[in-house]
Amino acid sequence: MKAKCEECDADISVPDDAIVGEIVKCKECGSDYEVAEISKGQVRLKVAEVAEEDWGE
Amino acid sequence: MKLTITFDRLRLEEKELVKEAAKAGCKTDLVDVRKLSLNITGKKISGFGDIVLQRCISYYRSLYLTWILENHGMRVINTAKVAQACGNKLLTSMLLAKAGVPTPKTYVALSSESVFETADKVGYPVVLKPFTGSWGRMVDIAKEPQTLNTIVEYREAMQSPIDHMYYVQEFVKRPPRDIRLIVAGDEIIASVYRNAPKDDWRTNVARGGTTTAFKLNKEIEEITLKAAEAVGGGLVGVDAMESKSGYLVHEVNNTVEFKGAQASTEHKIARKIVDYAVAEAKR
Repeated sequence: MKAKCEECDADISVPDDAIVGEIVKCKECGSDYEVAEISKGQVRLKVAEVAEEDWGE
Repeated sequence: MKLTITFDRLRLEEKELVKEAAKAGCKTDLVDVRKLSLNITGKKISGFGDIVLQRCISYYRSLYLTWILENHGMRVINTAKVAQACGNKLLTSMLLAKAGVPTPKTYVALSSESVFETADKVGYPVVLKPFTGSWGRMVDIAKEPQTLNTIVEYREAMQSPIDHMYYVQEFVKRPPRDIRLIVAGDEIIASVYRNAPKDDWRTNVARGGTTTAFKLNKEIEEITLKAAEAVGGGLVGVDAMESKSGYLVHEVNNTVEFKGAQASTEHKIARKIVDYAVAEAKR
């Protein structure tokens, strides 16, 4: 599946077995996106959350 | 048996857990906690499985959701008590010391007024860590008072009052690595060295640390299981250092990441976690 990077307009390749919530990275500019929706072979991405102070393990 | 995996950022670990749960014949659902709207004063919260594996990357989301689910009678790995104990380094250090687990000498200064006196008592170099946080974020080393002064200036400029209190720990001389031990109940399911990257003294995989296999021995097995028990048990990641006087446990992690450990472990860590969750659900 393919999507466009909002930052640099590059093509982002999303694996066919991706699931909603998964993070994908733009190989051109490094922006992180989250898979927001998959429907009929089409994928919609949204900008991924930025790490907060309480993130971790 | 239904296993619910809660998340707010779907990482390789969560995907592996789903895959391994399917192989184990366990029904699984993934719940994005950011989409939940929960009636905390109602009688029942539905939509969760027999047991919940809490995998939120945000400490507060994880803790708050666990409080809610436990209050409504659900079983969560880990319990809120464990999440709190591991999520606050002050509590972790005190619980480890109380249980007799060897741990680095640690002081707390409740204001910048006493932080220099505190550092003198601990002895330079000192390590400053935020009370809450992970991945080595904002963990600093002050080799002398001048550096400490700079760190304190930055911390005092931050808005949150929690940044104006100081967790001050002795700097332990160790090889440029530490040991990550993943515990599920009373079993150590993975053990690896975490090797610091060339340009950093911190060993966190999130900071570029790499893993190599670590062979367990009786001494570290005992210390690790005791450390896990000290924070309340469950599924935790115990971090230990090799000091001149023996192993020292410096942290216990509540939502243990295992991508790094998996790279140096032959068996599937995710499968061990699923098996543990299933066994807990049946208990």
